[in-house]
Amino acid sequence: MIRTYETVFITLPTLTDEEEKVVVDALTAVVSDGGGVFAANDRMGRRRLAYPIKKFEDGVYTRFLYDSDSGVPKELDRRLRISDKVIRHMTISMELDWAVASKEQAVRDAQARAEAEAARAAGLVTDEAARVASLLTDVSDAPPAGARDEDDVDFEDQN
Amino acid sequence: MGYMRDNPGGGYGSRPPGGGGGGGGGRGAGPRTGGRKRFLFRRRKYCKFCEDKARWVDYKDLRTLQSYIPERAKILPRRISGTCATHQRQLMQAIKRARNLALIPFTSD
Repeated sequence: MIRTYETVFITLPTLTDEEEKVVVDALTAVVSDGGGVFAANDRMGRRRLAYPIKKFEDGVYTRFLYDSDSGVPKELDRRLRISDKVIRHMTISMELDWAVASKEQAVRDAQARAEAEAARAAGLVTDEAARVASLLTDVSDAPPAGARDEDDVDFEDQN
Repeated sequence: MGYMRDNPGGGYGSRPPGGGGGGGGGRGAGPRTGGRKRFLFRRRKYCKFCEDKARWVDYKDLRTLQSYIPERAKILPRRISGTCATHQRQLMQAIKRARNLALIPFTSD
């Protein structure tokens, strides 16, 4: 049965761009070879981890969104588990309406990215392009989870 | 009974304490609710996800999740946030997923 899966994995922050590409391409091939169809293959970017994993404080997040049968995530999980360049991974099977929305979002993101890329290539960074670009980098811009505002409700003290 | 007699305040038995009944009653133009105690006006809690008609909670959406993990990085209980049961369950799932991916901490001292 074809379902939509989303796999997020964290690769070592110490990898060079080429090394990272090798790792990601190998995993991409696992999905494609297994008959999976990609809806999104995002590099979510480098991000500070909320807690250290294997003594690393940062990680590079990559997200796969694909349609496939259950063999693909199984094989992918096996590979991710073996790889020493991946420090954490998770696959979820998405419910139908969420999957549809995610795929639509992925298409929009891809378009926005293409436009931003085109604008950058043309040398004119319009306001719109800047806005889109800032939207895309949302994840990496998010404040580290450790640093939280003072005005957080401390619900334990209320009791 | 003995307790009542010993209590120097005395009035607790019949009226709600402090500005509850008195203060609220002065302004209360709406329908009076029987003998129900009225405390200081408190905003009614509601489920923010229901308001948005959310059908899922995304574990990658940190901006949303952040508001449900207070200082100790625990999951904010329903009785505080007012989230409905369905969405609290989805929220819990999302927070736990985000924790596994080190997007948010399990705990922070």
